[in-house]
Amino acid sequence: MSDLLADDPEWADVTPLRQYENVNPIAPIFYSEEYKDATDYFRAVVKAGEMSPRVLKLTERIIRMNPAHYTAWQHRYKTLIALKADLEEELRLMDDIAKEFMKTYQVWHHRRLLLTAINSVDVAALELIFLRDVLELDTKNYHTWSYRQWILTHFNNEARLWAGERPYAEQLIDADVRNNSAWHHRFFVVFSSGVRLGDEEREVVLRRELSYVKEKISLAPNNASAWNYLRGVLEFTNTPFETLASWVLPYTASQPPAPGEDVVDLDNPLPSDNAELPCVAALEFMADVYEKQGGDATAKAVELWKTLANEKDVIRKKYWEYRIRNALQKS
Amino acid sequence: MQIVSNPAGLLRSGHASHCRRCLIALPSGQVEVDPSRIAVVFYCLGTLDILNQLSTQSLEEEREDWRQWLWEQQISGKYGSGFRPSPYMTPEDFSGTSSSDYDNPHLVMTYTALLSLAILRDDFSKLDRKGILRFLAACQQEDGSFSALPNGGESDLRMLYCAFTISSFLDDWSGIDVDRAIDYVRRCYSYEGGFGQTPNGEALGGTTYCALAALHLVPDTEKYTSKERLTSQERARTVRWLLQNQTSSGGFCGRTNKLADACYCFWCGAALSILGAGDLVDESALSDFLTRCQFKFGGIAKAPGERPDPYHTYLSLAVLSTLPADHAGDESWNLPCLDALWNATEDTAAWARQHIPAKQASAN
Repeated sequence: MSDLLADDPEWADVTPLRQYENVNPIAPIFYSEEYKDATDYFRAVVKAGEMSPRVLKLTERIIRMNPAHYTAWQHRYKTLIALKADLEEELRLMDDIAKEFMKTYQVWHHRRLLLTAINSVDVAALELIFLRDVLELDTKNYHTWSYRQWILTHFNNEARLWAGERPYAEQLIDADVRNNSAWHHRFFVVFSSGVRLGDEEREVVLRRELSYVKEKISLAPNNASAWNYLRGVLEFTNTPFETLASWVLPYTASQPPAPGEDVVDLDNPLPSDNAELPCVAALEFMADVYEKQGGDATAKAVELWKTLANEKDVIRKKYWEYRIRNALQKS
Repeated sequence: MQIVSNPAGLLRSGHASHCRRCLIALPSGQVEVDPSRIAVVFYCLGTLDILNQLSTQSLEEEREDWRQWLWEQQISGKYGSGFRPSPYMTPEDFSGTSSSDYDNPHLVMTYTALLSLAILRDDFSKLDRKGILRFLAACQQEDGSFSALPNGGESDLRMLYCAFTISSFLDDWSGIDVDRAIDYVRRCYSYEGGFGQTPNGEALGGTTYCALAALHLVPDTEKYTSKERLTSQERARTVRWLLQNQTSSGGFCGRTNKLADACYCFWCGAALSILGAGDLVDESALSDFLTRCQFKFGGIAKAPGERPDPYHTYLSLAVLSTLPADHAGDESWNLPCLDALWNATEDTAAWARQHIPAKQASAN
C-alpha cells in the first residue's frame, strides 16, 4: 500500500504541480519519491491559496522530511491563523519536532511566532520549562539558547520568568563547569539584559558575581569560560583587574599552597590540591595587571608573557610576543 | 616550522572532484539544502576557483548552462529583485521572472549567486541593480538587522553581512540605513570579545566574522567613522578571544570550550586577518589540523574522521589561502590570495569589482 498523496482519495481533487527545472540544473537533488510527491501537492496548494486542516497534515509531512523547508513553515503558520487553530495545541504537537530537529532554525522561529500570537506569560513560563528538557539533550544548542533569551526579553516578567534563570544557569554550570552557554546565560541574566539594570545594588551584585566565579575557578582553574566571565564582570563594572591581584597570584605558582598555611578565606578561595598549575589564564591576568601598572612592572609582565610564549601556551607564542612588543613600545 | 605529518600534502584533485560531483547531483540525503541550493553551488564553484581547476573540471558549454541556471533564479516582484535558492517552490508552468509570496528572493542566495557568477566570469548584463537595492531595503528591519526574506524569516548578523557585501559589490549603499545597521552590529558585541548571532547572544566565530567584515566594508558615515565602529579596547578583546579559540588540536572552535571545527578555522582566521592580526595565528598548527580533516577520497570534513562536504571543503581552503603556512616547497599547497571581506579569490574579487557596479554614464 503506497503512502503517497497521489494515491490518497483525500487529495484526488488536487492536480499536483511538479517543480520547474530547466534543462541543465546545477547540483540537482535526487528527491525521494515521498518528498517529490508531497512537495508537488504543496506547490499546488500554495498556488490555490488553500488553507485547510489537510494543509496542516501536508506541511507537517514535508517538515518531517525537510525541517529547513521554510516555505512549508510559512504556509503552515498562515493556515493555523486562518483556521483559528488552537496554538497551544500546535506547540505541543511541535514539541517532539523541536527535539528531533533542534539544530534547524525554522523550528524555533515557528515557536516564536506562536508565542507572540498567544501572548501569554503563563505559556511563556511553560515554554521555559519545556526548553529545559530540550537543553538537556544538548546543553549548548545555540538556537535553543537564543530562543530562551528572546522569551525572557520579549515577555520581560520578573517573578514568572527572570527569577528562575540565575539558579538555572547555576545548575547547568554545576553539572558542567565548562559549559560556556550557561556562563553566557548567567552574564546575560545578571548584566546585559538591559531591562534589569538597577534591580539590585550594583555593589552587591559585583561582590556576589566575583565570589561565585572565584569559587568555580578554584575548583577547576583551567577553564576559559570562567576566566572570560571574570574579566567580563570586571570590565562591565569598571573594576580594575588589580583589585583581584592578590587572589590570582597563587594560581600563577607552580604548586598549590601547602595546606594549613593560611586561614581559609571563603571570599578568596585558593586553588584546590589537585589543580594543574600554573594556570595559563592566571598568568595572562597578572601580566595584564602589570602592564596596566606600567613603569617597572612592565618587566614583570614581559617575564610572564615569555613564560606563556615559550612554555605554557606555545600555540599562542606569536600573540604573547606581540603583547611584549606592544608593551615595550608603550613604555 | 615545517609540516611533516602528511607526506601526501593537500589533496587538490580529490577536493576538486568532490565538489565537481556535487555540482552534477546531490543525493536524496541532502534534501535539507533544497531551500539553500545556491549556497552549495557557491561552495563548490569557490573550491574549484581556489584550486584553479574550474577550466579543467568543466567545459565552457557547461559553465554557460550554469550561468543561465543562476540567472533563472533572479526574480522580481513587489519587494524588488534578487535570487531565490533554487526553483524548489517554482511550479513547472512558470515563465517569466515574477516572484510570489512563496517564491521570493533570499539575501544569502543573492550574495552567493553574485559571487558564483563572478567566479564564472559573467558580464552581469542581466543584473537588475535597482531592483536589488529595493530588495535590500525591504529586508532591513526596525532594529537595523536584515531578514533573509523580505516577508520575514531569520534576522541576524549573517543576513546583515550579506546585505553589506551586496552593497559593496554594487558600490552603492543607498539600499540600506547604514547607521541603524551598525548600531545593531554593536549590540551583538559580547563580554567575551566576540559577536553573538543576535543582540545578547553568546560570542560565536561565524557571526564575529560577519560583524567585523561588515564594519570594515562600509564607508564612513557622519555618525560612525571607521575608528568609532570598534574602540581599541574592544578590538584588543576581540583579537584575544579569537586567538583563544585556536585549540591544542591546531584548529579553531567557534565558541569558548567547544571542539575545533574546520569551518571555524575560516571564520576565526579570516576575522583575525580583517583585524590585521592574521600573522598571530599559529598557521602550521592550523594547516596540520586541516590536513587531518581531509577525507582520503576527496573533500574536507569538519573534524578528522568525519564525512566531507562542500561547505567545510571550501572554508578550509579559503583559510589556507588567507593564512598560508610554510610547506617547504611542497607545491600542492600553492593557493591564490583571498579577499577576506568578500570571501573570494583576489582575481574573482577584481572581476566582481569591474563588472557588478552600475556603469557610470559617460560624460558625452
